[in-house]
Formats: sequence, C-alpha cells, structure tokens
Amino acid sequence: MKNFIIILITVLIPIKSFALIEVDITRGNLNPLPVAVSPLSIDEESRKNFEKILKKKNIGSEISSIVENNLRVSGLFNPLNKDAFLQEPDIANLKPRFEDWNLIKAQALITGKVSYVDQKLRVEFRLWDVLAGKEMMALAFTTVPNNWRRVGHIITDKVYERLTGEKGYFDTRIIYVAEEGPKTQRVKKLAIMDQDGANNKFLTLGNELVLTPRFNPTSQMVTYLSYFRNLPRVYLLDIETGTQEVVGDFPGMTFAPRFSPDGKKIIMSFAKDGNSEIYTMDLENRIVEKITNHPSIDTSPSYSPDGKFISFNSDRSGYQQIYVMKSDGSKVKRISFGKGIYGTPVWSPRGDLIAFTKLHKGKFYIGVMRTDGSGERLLTENYYQEAPSWSPNGRVLIFYRETKTDSKGKGFSAKLWSIDLTGYNERQVTTPTDGSDPSWSSLLSN
Amino acid sequence: MSLPFLAKKPIDLPPIVSVELIQITEKTNIPFAPKAKKIIEKVKEKEKKLVSEQAPPKKVKKIKPDAVPMPEDKVKKVEKIKEDKQNPEKIDNEVKQVSEFEKEELFDPNNIAALIDKSKESKAETLKKNPDLSQDQNKNFENTGLSLSEEDALKAQIFGCWSIPLGLPYNENLLVRIKLELKPDGSVTKSEILDHARMNKPGQGFYKVLAESALRAIKLCQPLRVPSTGYERWKELQLNFDAREMLEG
Amino acid sequence: MKDLISCEKVSLRQRNIEQGAIMKLNKILKNGFLIILACIALSACATSKKSTGQMQGDVYTGTDTVEYLASGVPDRVFFATNESVLTTASRETLRKQAAWLRKNSKISIVLEGHADERGTREYNLALGERRANAAKDYLMTYGISSDRISVLSYGKERPVDSGSNPLAWSKNRRSVSVKAN
Repeated sequence: MKNFIIILITVLIPIKSFALIEVDITRGNLNPLPVAVSPLSIDEESRKNFEKILKKKNIGSEISSIVENNLRVSGLFNPLNKDAFLQEPDIANLKPRFEDWNLIKAQALITGKVSYVDQKLRVEFRLWDVLAGKEMMALAFTTVPNNWRRVGHIITDKVYERLTGEKGYFDTRIIYVAEEGPKTQRVKKLAIMDQDGANNKFLTLGNELVLTPRFNPTSQMVTYLSYFRNLPRVYLLDIETGTQEVVGDFPGMTFAPRFSPDGKKIIMSFAKDGNSEIYTMDLENRIVEKITNHPSIDTSPSYSPDGKFISFNSDRSGYQQIYVMKSDGSKVKRISFGKGIYGTPVWSPRGDLIAFTKLHKGKFYIGVMRTDGSGERLLTENYYQEAPSWSPNGRVLIFYRETKTDSKGKGFSAKLWSIDLTGYNERQVTTPTDGSDPSWSSLLSN
Repeated sequence: MSLPFLAKKPIDLPPIVSVELIQITEKTNIPFAPKAKKIIEKVKEKEKKLVSEQAPPKKVKKIKPDAVPMPEDKVKKVEKIKEDKQNPEKIDNEVKQVSEFEKEELFDPNNIAALIDKSKESKAETLKKNPDLSQDQNKNFENTGLSLSEEDALKAQIFGCWSIPLGLPYNENLLVRIKLELKPDGSVTKSEILDHARMNKPGQGFYKVLAESALRAIKLCQPLRVPSTGYERWKELQLNFDAREMLEG
Repeated sequence: MKDLISCEKVSLRQRNIEQGAIMKLNKILKNGFLIILACIALSACATSKKSTGQMQGDVYTGTDTVEYLASGVPDRVFFATNESVLTTASRETLRKQAAWLRKNSKISIVLEGHADERGTREYNLALGERRANAAKDYLMTYGISSDRISVLSYGKERPVDSGSNPLAWSKNRRSVSVKAN
C-alpha cells in the first residue's frame, strides 16, 4: 500500500507540471462519409463468360453500382463520382495510391475483382481506410452467377458493419401489398422484392383482397390476411413451395397477424360479435390461446424480441392507444399518453423502442417511443401514413403513405417510404405499382 | 382441429415464383413440395451455396501484433491469396465464412494498434491508468489553457472534419479521448487513444468505429489551427470526442 | 378534437352497458335506454359540428349512395367518426329492413361493415366488424334470427366515395345489408 502511494505521488508530480490541455469536441458533421467505390475489375475472359450468362456487359461495374447505390440510399455514405478516380480498378485493388484517393476526399475506398471460376461467380473485395492508409477488411465470395445482385448486397452489409459498428440490412427483402386500380375497387396482390426494389415478383394474382403480409424470423414464411371466398382469415404462405393454409379454425374474421420471435406462433386478432381480442396459435401443436379479454377493440399485436411481452393497440380507454402486456396477457399497461390516437405498435429488433402510427389533428405521424412510453419522437408527418416495419438492424423504418384524392377524384396513390431512426433520410421505395403494408425480412445471409 | 389446405389453383400462385425464390432461402432446410423439389434439386446440382472467405486467410498468423504492414508486404499478400483461391478446398460452405469473418474481427485490434501509433508512451500509459487525474489537475491550471477564442477556432476546425458515424447507438457512452503531440505549425506527430483497451471489449464494436472516425478527423484537419504563440502550453493536447449530443438530438 | 373525444367516451360507456345488458333487458326498456344515450352522444357531437345538407354532426344523412333492398327499404346505415352507435335514422332504416326480412323469410343477408380512410388498417377492420354487429344486434332485437345474418368487415378497403373530404368519409362509414341468396 505504501509503495502504491509513493508511485502515485511520483506519477502525479510530472503530470502537474504538464497540465495537459483538454478540448471537448461535441459536434461534428452529420454529412455522409465520402466513400470511393472503385469498379470491380474483371479479366476479359471472365467478362465475356458473364456477358453470355447474365446478359450484362460488365458484371464488375454492375455489382459495384449495387454497392454504391446501397451506400447512397443508406444516407450514411456519400459515394464519390467515378469520373474523379485516378487509379485503374485492377491496380487499386492490389495497392491503392492513397494520396490519389485522399485528393478526391475519399475517406474509405472499396476495391475488388470479379472472376469466372468453375462456372461460378467469384467476387473479392477490399475495404481501405484512406486517411490511415490501411486495409480494413478483405473478403471473397463464390456463388452461382445469378446471385450477383446478392453479392453486391452482402458486400454492402460487410462494409456497413465495418464502418458503422452495427449489422447492415442490404441483403434483405420486402414483402408488401401491390395495389392497382381505382380506390373503390382496388386490386391487391402480395408482392416480394429485394430491399432495393429489384426482382419484384407477385405472389398472388389479385383475385381476392390480401392485406398485411409479415415475414417469419427466417423470412421464408409469410402470414397475411386474405379475403379468399369472402372469408377474411389469417393465412400462412411458404414462399418456397407456394403452399398455403388457413391459420386456426375461427368462426369469424381473423386479422392483424404476426409471428412470434421464435417463429413458432402466430399472434393475431379474432373479431366476434363486435369485439376483437388477441389470440395466439402454436404452429406445431395447433393450440389456440386467448390473450386479451376486454369488450373493446384489441388489435395490432407485436411481440418484444425476447418474446416476453406483447404490445398492441386498444380503444379500451375510449380511443385507440398503445398498451404493453406480458406474453400471457397479464399486467396490461397503457404506454401512450401523448395527444392524439396511437396505433400499430411494432417492437424494434433491438428491443429498446416501439415504432407506432399516430393521428393528431388530422395528421398522421410515424414515431418511436421507449417501451415504457417515454421518449416519444415523431419522425415524419403526412396526410396519411401508417404501418412501420423495422429493418433487421433496427436503424430504418419502412411504412406506406397515401395521398389525398383531390376534388376531381384524382391524386390518390399509395407508396412505400423509408426513414432513418434519426428522422433523416426519408425516401420513397420505388415499386412497379402502388404499394402498402411493407414488411422487412431478416438478413438473408449472416 | 382440421386445417383446410388450399391447393395452388384456388390461390392462383404463378408457379414460377416458388422456383425463383429458392436461392434466397436456400440455407433453410424445409421440406419442399414434390413438384418444387425436383426443380430445386436440379438447380442445386449446379450451384453451391454462397461462399465467402477471408481473402488473406493466413494473414492472422503471419503478422505480429505491432507490425505495420508495408506496401510491398501487401502486394505479396494479394498474390498469396490468389494461390489460395486456386485450391478448391478453400471454397467451402457458409459455416466457414462465419469463422473466417470472426478471425478477421479478432485481427482488427492489431490494425487499430497500428492506426493509433507505432509506439506507446509511458506517460500516456499513466494517464490511462488515472483518467480522472488529468481532468482534476486541469482545473488547477485553467489560466494556462487555451483562451476561449483559441479553443473555439480549434473546435470549429475539427467540427468540420469529423464525420460522426450516424449508425452509432445513441444511448451508449460515446466518448473517445485522444492525446496528441503537435509541432509548432499544428501538424500532429503522435496521436493516441487513451481508452483504447475498450476497443477490444466484446459488444463495444461501435467504440472502435467512433475512435476510427475521430482519428480520421484529426488526419483530415492537419495542420490543426493552433495559437500562433505559447507552443509550450499546447504542444501536448487532449481532444475529447463526444458524439452523444449530436446523436441524441 | 376535444369534442370528438368526449363524444367517443360517452358512446363507449354506452357500448359497455349494451354488452352486459343486451340479452337480459327486454326490447322496450333497452330501446328507450339506448335512445336516451344516443341523444346525449349526438348532442355532444352536434355542439362541435354544424349539420349541413347531407350530414348531421359527421353522420351522413343523404341518399347519394343508398341502394334499396326493396321499395322503401334502404340497404345501409351510417356512423359517426370512430363510432358504432346507431343513430335514430339508422334505427328506422334497420326496422324497415327487419320488417322486410320477416316478410321474406327465405332471404339471408350479409352485413358489410366499413370505415373511412382516416384510421390504421387493422383497427379499421375491427371497427367495421363492430359496426356491422351493431346493425346485426338491432335486427336481432326485431326478431331476425342470427342464422340469417352474417357479418363481414372490409375496414377501409372498399370505400363508396373515393374523395378525401369529410362528406366522402361520412358516406364510407357505413354498414350495408347485402342479400346473400
């Protein structure tokens, strides 16, 4: 002990004489990080092979433009204009001349190369810290050529994770309801697409009304509401095989389905005699459980990621508000107390926030609050918007927005939009038709 | 309880979809419908799972923790990868990718160590052990610090250079303290992260990202806008980068 | 907004009472009781909104969209925002429907409940179901067997008026009786 004190004193003395000046840096710019995405280099033979298979002239630049687009849309990165790049892609991948990249203000650099190996697509990429002059990561992927878009998304996920410290959300898909036709006779189909809008496919033909599709945790099953034979019921669809089934055997409308975080149950509402209650059905043993018991509308249930709690909206207080209860239905607690009406609570993948729709004074808002209802933040305001769904990393929300019909009966549209948890980076997600009720998948690869 | 199975026909599912969706979810081993199964198996004969591997697999072992790879080394490494690639055993399944990726992560702290500085100073070490002392001491020497206008000039400059990574968790401790040694013209001769032990802690990945962004800001801002006089006062300088205020608001 | 909310609270209380009492009270007592409460609800609403040519409070009173099951038997009733309470006019319409159904004992009907576009989709599905059931309950009190009435909610999915204005919304907040056979 004595020794320690002596050491301490001797240590203190030199410090005193230095009196290190401290400066607190509490602000920075929230400008997106300047990144140079050098086109992936490709040898001529590989290029020709891929041109034959994929009908793409240069698959290397196609993949890098996917990465570039993903980074730009994330709002966290600013991919720089390729015209300013001084170094050839193949040489940059071997050894970047950091001074050159520094000159165009790139802080990170992505390089790589594509080759045709045993009828497969092989993509190698490297991420460089330009200012430090260091390689930050290097990975290679091999897959069937048709998977080339996914390779672009996976590269983006890796880069995103390395530069932001959290997992990406690019190798994901969106399931949503594609809409067409006049408002009074809207035709709705289930549709699925990549997160960036590519590979859009319709899963139903639009013969019956379909609503609110949601992925299971492995993103291979979807639960949704279909008016097949004019009986609104919750269905389960295996998107691989196309098999469908009705969930449970309820003598009335079931709706508002979602999976439990382990994927083993579906939670939904069942409406009977003017009263909607929340039920679960176990997909393995088919056991149905009634969770709520109140003569009011209880709907839009959503599990916490640990499966221990359920949030839902209910009008038991007189108008629509958000409540949280334990997963067995006990300890119901109202959490929304702001002005207006609150609905569609969705628990974030991180578990710390609940996203919701709010209606106040004729405007609709998408917002988030903590799970106890504190810290409400409204991210976006509009004429009509609802139904937020979280990106798998809990950083972005996707929702749908409808526009007003004007006095001439025109102007109505339904579109998908996304916004950052920060409230920045609001963007329309383009779909071939109108769209609504989006649900974001989990990361398809890990 | 009976569950009415709906045949494909009443639902009118375009058959092409179920086939085309297969690749995405191939990692799940759900039994397929007989019809789809045939097609899938055909496809699977031709394809292997998406494989990723760390490009330089042997890098981890080859480099000593403190070594800074020289450019020449890098070229050699790349060549080495090429050799590795020709070995078909390297192309494996996804499990491999995961473990390789973890190796990459484990390796990273070395990269960082190189990023921070080539050598460590005993002085800074003591500071690290008694992080509160420097602050307490500082109060006794307020008059020897930078003037308000001097401090503002420096702050304003660094604000412009620091791109705060927007993806950071907003409810964590987001303070990175960096000690600098400066030349009279404001260029940085040494920079050291004072809490850099934290960077290797599990679950603190965001801290590394933040620290790297702070180091980039300093590099980008060189030479720092330092006062024209009193070099002795500020030849050593500590910058406390705190992103909380920005990310919460 | 405030007025609207107070209006909703009244009706919810009414709804809860309705639930407990619906089977036990005899028809006359119950109707009288409901009418009194409905008057309270309406007067609360009426203070905030003027009645226009086609709306009273915010309940549609026009006939633009109305179709007829038979001569003099309108097919639909309208509701106030976020409400499932039957208005006096709605009761009259439903009594006509009940009389017609008694005369045509082989006909069964589907009650299609709808909501306006100013609510979240899932809540509106529940609200449409509640509205259709309010009409069903009333028909049952006039002697129509529940076997002959099924209920189907469309929420906000099938508006009759595609407009984005209070009048269009009032037309869309409805329960429509549709012949099922």
